[in-house]
Amino acid sequence: MKAFLATFWMGSKFLWRNPVSVAILICFPIVIILVLGSALSAYITPETDLEPAAVAAAADPGGLLGTFLQNDEVSRFLDVTFTDREEAERLASNEEVVAAIVEENGEVSVIRPGVGGLYTQLTMSLIDSYKQIGSAAVIAAMSGKNVYDILGKDVSVKDIPLGTRIPGSIDYYAVTMLVMILLYTGMNGLDLFNKGLLSDTGRRMLTTSASKPALIGGMFAAASVTSFLQGMVTFAFTGLVYGVYWGERIPLVLLTLFAIVLFSQALCIFLTMAIRHNGAVMGISQALFWTMTFVSKGYAKVSFGEMDKVFQYAPNSMAHTVIFGAIFGGNEAKMTSNLIILYALCLVLLMLAFVSGRRRVA
Amino acid sequence: MIVSMTGIVKRYNAHTALDNLDLTVNEGEALGLLGPNGAGKTTAIRVLTGLTTADSGEVKLFGSEMRGTAAAIKKKIGLVPQDLALYETLSARDNLNYFGRLYGVTGATLKDRVAEALDVLGLSDVAGKAPKKFSGGMKRRLNIGCAIIHKPELLILDEPTVGIDPQSRNHILDFVELMNKQGTTVLYTSHYMEEVERVCSRVLIMDAGRVIAGGSVEELTRSTLIEETVSVEVRDPAPSLKESISKVQGVLRCEGEGRTLLVTSKADSQNLARILECATPYVILGVEAHRPTLEDAFLTLTGKKLRDGNET
Repeated sequence: MKAFLATFWMGSKFLWRNPVSVAILICFPIVIILVLGSALSAYITPETDLEPAAVAAAADPGGLLGTFLQNDEVSRFLDVTFTDREEAERLASNEEVVAAIVEENGEVSVIRPGVGGLYTQLTMSLIDSYKQIGSAAVIAAMSGKNVYDILGKDVSVKDIPLGTRIPGSIDYYAVTMLVMILLYTGMNGLDLFNKGLLSDTGRRMLTTSASKPALIGGMFAAASVTSFLQGMVTFAFTGLVYGVYWGERIPLVLLTLFAIVLFSQALCIFLTMAIRHNGAVMGISQALFWTMTFVSKGYAKVSFGEMDKVFQYAPNSMAHTVIFGAIFGGNEAKMTSNLIILYALCLVLLMLAFVSGRRRVA
Repeated sequence: MIVSMTGIVKRYNAHTALDNLDLTVNEGEALGLLGPNGAGKTTAIRVLTGLTTADSGEVKLFGSEMRGTAAAIKKKIGLVPQDLALYETLSARDNLNYFGRLYGVTGATLKDRVAEALDVLGLSDVAGKAPKKFSGGMKRRLNIGCAIIHKPELLILDEPTVGIDPQSRNHILDFVELMNKQGTTVLYTSHYMEEVERVCSRVLIMDAGRVIAGGSVEELTRSTLIEETVSVEVRDPAPSLKESISKVQGVLRCEGEGRTLLVTSKADSQNLARILECATPYVILGVEAHRPTLEDAFLTLTGKKLRDGNET
């Protein structure tokens, strides 16, 4: 136990004093959120020289989509003409509008003339954001309805505890950004093991009377707790500076964020133990994080069709579901199952890491 | 006997790093382990400290068989590895504290030991600074400090003075001598013969994974058949002088032009008086006998050919 605690303490100190770790996991997210926050926060009015883009909308002006398209935040970018589908398509094909927004049977699609330019992309991004739960909550708040009405079966019927704050895009991005950042904290574990247990220093550690499980466990715990605390800086920053709404079930949100941290550490440590080439480990782990973030639509809202059913089990996706559910009132059963799957994944990876680790450091 | 390695064999694929190695270290002695690159010194230390296991043979430390998890045995050993094994971004004090705790030293004892180690290694003034800002010598001293914080009974130093200035080297050697005088058994490997001659009471020479010679420095140089050389300087030597010296019993060759002649004899020829007798008709300006050193013994035993293979 003494060796475990000593290693935990040393590892934590090592990571907090690592300028690269602090820069990437604390400073970088704050800068990104500052930039995004300036662009997205409902409190800050974005200044732009862009003229609103002319679009045609085949939707009910009094419906949810109509309300969304006419709200102040969106109307700064879009000049919407409500019409029927046929007319909207005609206007788009004649390039009289940059895009036609069509709502049919609850599905919203964007018809664009040709490839489309900046305005078309802007329109698509805004519509994509409408489809996301964060924006859905905004609409729900504005229309006096609850999220269930917008998202259906995945969200339970309950009033949204919005208080005095109306959630905006920053609330959505704060969640996805934090989950992505925490996924990348696996680099902490990788760094700690490479410069510790798998280095000359580690060989010295192994000649001491401390047991291998105490050393490996201490380092894993140090990497996990430090990474989580580093993530909490971003968590607190978004909450205190931008007033991001993290809901009333903070312990559940934190438990989910911690699951992502554990998953990330376990994955990185497993790769470090299983693959001897450090460069390869770095490359593979980065590629995995990037892919997981991508398929869970962390970078861009890309539809993968049927594959989305599979990608909903990407760690980021599962964490998003639980956190948004905790904040805005999601399906409890789905949230619980996702959280269990996340922790089970951590456990499996951790066991694999431990087995590989014992062999690697032997 | 503190260390006993018997018939140790360690192979890395086709390469045999240790080939039936037999090695013993007696309590209280300072044993020097010499060998060219690739001789197997570091592998022997890795086997000894449980970092790697031998393919066959027996390792006993303090009378008990050494296994990788033998915590009780490991507490009695301090290893100063060849490469710096420190956390360079943590302070010197943090490093000492950490390794002390890994050996189970805690509380006031740890605090005292850390202060003592910093003092004796001349690092008290920089205790709060990170080793990345240290000179090579300071890092090497801290590297030693981390191995002695728990006051080991056996201190193993694997080339502890590589790449440092003479002052730091002297400091380290003084310290190792002091530890040995205070009762710590020392196992010391180095490429610097003068260090081994100074610190060690007994020397083992390894080559190709086994011990090829052992004994005190004096015993090694005497038992190794090393040629002796005498340099004789005389005024206006005649060409016949060279010839007459060459005929002295045991002389292998007599070389040199001008006033100085270099005479090489077989080992233990004891013919200095007869060589000087030949030079008596001349004015002898100087005589210098070169005594065989440990380095001579080492080179004679292991060969003078350069070996740039990787150390194993």
